[in-house]
Amino acid sequence: MQVQVLSITTPPVPASYKSPNVPSGSRISDPHPSGHRTLLPVGPAYLTHLRLSLHHKHSFSSLDKHLAAERERLAALHGDDTNGEDDLGVGDEEETQELLSLDPKEWKKQDHYAVLGLSHLRYKATAAQIKIAHRKKVLKHHPDKKAGSTSTSTAHNSLYLAGVNQNTNDDAFFKCIQKAHEVLTNPEKRRQFDSVDPVFLDFEEDMPNATEFKNKNLDFFKTLTPAFELYARFSKKQPVPGLGHIDSTKEEVEGFYDFWYNFDSWRSFEWLDKEINEGSDSRDDKRYTEKKNKSERARRKKEDIAKLRNLVDMTLSFDPRIKRIKQQEKEAREAKKRGVTPGAPAKKTKQQEEEEKKKAELEAKQKEEAEQAARAEAKKQKTAAANAAKKARRQQRAAEEAAAGT
Amino acid sequence: MSSTPIPNGSAEAPLQLSTLPPVVGINFGNSYASIAVFTKEGLAECIANEDGERQIACAVAFHGEEMYIGNQAKQQLVKNAKNTITGFRNLLGKKFSEIPQSENTTSAPVIQHPDQPDTPAYKVQVLQPAPTPLPTSAFTTPAASHAPTPRSEPVLVDRILTVSEVASIFLKSLVQSASDFLGKPIQGAVISVPPTFTPTQKSALEQAATDAGVTVLQLLDEVSAAAATTTTPIWGLEPDRTQLVVDFGSSSVSLAILSIREGLAYVLGQSSTPTIGANQIDDKLIKFFAADFTKKTKIPLNVCPAKDVTDQRAEAKLRLAIEHTKRTISASPGAATCSVESLKDGMDYTGSINRMRFDMLGSPIYATVASEISSLLSTTGLDAHDVDEVVYVGGTGCLPGLDDRLGIEVGLREAVETPFARGTVVGGGLGDPTTIIARGCAIQAALINGLGSDGEEGELRQALTGVGAEVKATTRTLGLLFPNGLEENKELGGTWVPIVQKETALPVRRVVSFEVGLSEQSKRIAFEVWEVKEGIRIEKVAPPKSSDPEDADDDDDEPEEEEVKHRTLAKERLLAVVDTQAKLAIQTKGKGRDAGKWFTHVQVQFVVDIEGALDVELKEVGEGGVVEKLRVSSL
Repeated sequence: MQVQVLSITTPPVPASYKSPNVPSGSRISDPHPSGHRTLLPVGPAYLTHLRLSLHHKHSFSSLDKHLAAERERLAALHGDDTNGEDDLGVGDEEETQELLSLDPKEWKKQDHYAVLGLSHLRYKATAAQIKIAHRKKVLKHHPDKKAGSTSTSTAHNSLYLAGVNQNTNDDAFFKCIQKAHEVLTNPEKRRQFDSVDPVFLDFEEDMPNATEFKNKNLDFFKTLTPAFELYARFSKKQPVPGLGHIDSTKEEVEGFYDFWYNFDSWRSFEWLDKEINEGSDSRDDKRYTEKKNKSERARRKKEDIAKLRNLVDMTLSFDPRIKRIKQQEKEAREAKKRGVTPGAPAKKTKQQEEEEKKKAELEAKQKEEAEQAARAEAKKQKTAAANAAKKARRQQRAAEEAAAGT
Repeated sequence: MSSTPIPNGSAEAPLQLSTLPPVVGINFGNSYASIAVFTKEGLAECIANEDGERQIACAVAFHGEEMYIGNQAKQQLVKNAKNTITGFRNLLGKKFSEIPQSENTTSAPVIQHPDQPDTPAYKVQVLQPAPTPLPTSAFTTPAASHAPTPRSEPVLVDRILTVSEVASIFLKSLVQSASDFLGKPIQGAVISVPPTFTPTQKSALEQAATDAGVTVLQLLDEVSAAAATTTTPIWGLEPDRTQLVVDFGSSSVSLAILSIREGLAYVLGQSSTPTIGANQIDDKLIKFFAADFTKKTKIPLNVCPAKDVTDQRAEAKLRLAIEHTKRTISASPGAATCSVESLKDGMDYTGSINRMRFDMLGSPIYATVASEISSLLSTTGLDAHDVDEVVYVGGTGCLPGLDDRLGIEVGLREAVETPFARGTVVGGGLGDPTTIIARGCAIQAALINGLGSDGEEGELRQALTGVGAEVKATTRTLGLLFPNGLEENKELGGTWVPIVQKETALPVRRVVSFEVGLSEQSKRIAFEVWEVKEGIRIEKVAPPKSSDPEDADDDDDEPEEEEVKHRTLAKERLLAVVDTQAKLAIQTKGKGRDAGKWFTHVQVQFVVDIEGALDVELKEVGEGGVVEKLRVSSL
């Protein structure tokens, strides 16, 4: 299926736009009847048209199915066509125009992995893979292969002038390939390049910072797991503990922070050094540049360490597991205080609580009963007292009357 | 790694030497032929024969025991004209009585075949090689015999050649050159034929090719062959265009207007004018140089037509010499020379012609071609402004004056694509008019060669090599309208994205991908599917007033208003509306002009089936994108 790529961007629809009603029964104008036009019997497009009309009843979906089946059949047929050689997953990457027009003089800026067609592997590429990729590229781009002919891969422009070798800068890309090979096969140079891998730098720029994290309410694990995975490559110690998940144990979480706070990185920044002016005889000049480079390297390294540290700090501050762990610790402490074995505090407390509750209830009941009893007693006493007082008054009166009557 | 060393190669030759298709495309013109094959770059390219000629003259000459083919044979026209055969292609399949008996004295005359009835033939004188001498006896004494001693030198005999035989000889040499180039025998050829060829002529050509040992895969008419080249992706133009093919042959001019729609092409209009051709330009050029010769040497030279034998020879010499002159003037902007040794009466001639004078000589012929184009356009119902591309075919098409002249006189658009405008003519480039047909034939030959001969593929092969399929075609352009109130889109009220152009063969499927701008709040994708009518708007524009006062004095008449044409669109029918929300909107990053704007990638597919029902599918590129499908049925 041919997709025509238009390099246009339509302007956005105005907010006021209301889609009109389509008149019912609207259809396209009657086509020219059959026989009105006769196709010229040439070209692959005509062949497709014939396939459609002869074998597929003008149905594109049927044709697509047929062609897909055909492709599969052919792939199966030619499947073992690679001479049984395993390319270790190097594969073939598309070479963009931009890539092919690289300037070998600017080799420091080029993406060596992309040049060798290893951008899907990058720092993970093994020495064997690099070797295979280099061989593949050399077979394709060696100047001897191109001598006197325009290559099919070097743009359509050159094809307009078929047979004329107008690409005078034919071996430019080959030089780039050689340079990339040189860098990637030398462990020290490769380490330096990997340290400032342009793709990694892009990722690094996109790394979330604390304010963003807070404002945008990003998902903790989804955002930060890849970030740590990215940095993991620089660790001298492998394997590197990952961020883990929400249910990671305390030990895991602690191990993670322990590791990242003591992160030992092999990252260095020699790659970005300014060229020492080789032509100049002045030793002072050289020394000056060297000194500058050294301080620059140190500065970058420091920055890098600080950046990572910030990231870990930020992670720690937002980590939901830390809260959980603290909570657990607190509970454990409290439980310890109450003299309960800190082994399994949660269940016990519940039982205890229930017991306490029961106890309290019982006590309250008893208390109430006692109070009631006390109140009743008091009433009795009161009435008794009143009765006694009455009795006393009556006795007094009787005594007075007796005294008066005599 | 295994411990046994892997051999670094072997002395045995690889099983397959080359994967190039063993086929050849032959442009078989009346005066020149060219051959093209697939080269290892995967491109069809015109190749040179063993003499290094890419343009091989259609001539066969006999001189003594030798037979010359191609440009060497053409040289024989001067001294050995009676034994040199040219212009035989157009006679293929014709009866002797059908051939106009013109006074064609420059080459071997066409005669009636002595044995076969009503068959044209050529009579040439050749030297028959001497028979091998009789075996001498072991004895020193000669054998006693009454027979005369056989002659040891070759004998001069008359040889009668039919037109078909001549064509066979010529085609055989072409195929031989191609097979030498590829390094393996040629298994098939596609040969071009002019649109005027009748079925009898075609079968005669096929017969001649078969006699030469060539399997003819297809006889392709020249317009189709040109279309085969111009529809390949490396041609590099818009997939939909209206193309004018100008085939400027030596004896006729064929015009065709094609509608090319993503590789499918059909003819909208076609015409062929046998009365004009490059031969007339040649005649004018010869006359010009002859007059110049007379002026310089005071020797009278009457050519075109030449009566005197010396004049005839001088004309033949000039005719050969101006080939070089024409090529020089086509290739370089300066003047071109013409040099002939001993043109007449032992006087040498060297003259030159500059481009302006050359254009002046050609101008009446160019004007005729231009008027032919105009009349073809009007019979087809097209405006000159509708033509998107002009393709020249044939060596005369290389003449640069032609392109400018036609562009002005026919009134083509300024931005019309021509091989000259694109600079692909020089250096055997993509648009080289001399190689287009041969390359198209080679492309077609490879396509046919790639198909099997039985089952479904066999059916396809048969259909492909047969006559073109009759198809239905759309009458109006279908496309998308993205509503907006921008000033430049006032005509339709939005941005118009044409998808299926008018004059597209059915069924058709088109997929276009582009970016849709979104507003930050709504992320709404909305568009209308319209059928539009295309037209031409003519605007009268007064030319800018010349500031030079002298100039104004010279011509007092009113400055004429110039006509400026614009392509217009008018909404015809609203077919459908899509209004949906984008799911994969992206914000432009960076600090550019468009930074912070939202957009999304979409793919829109239009399928118009054979009945005229339209299926529209909108798909956001990427996983989880929005998908909208709708159908506008035909009833």
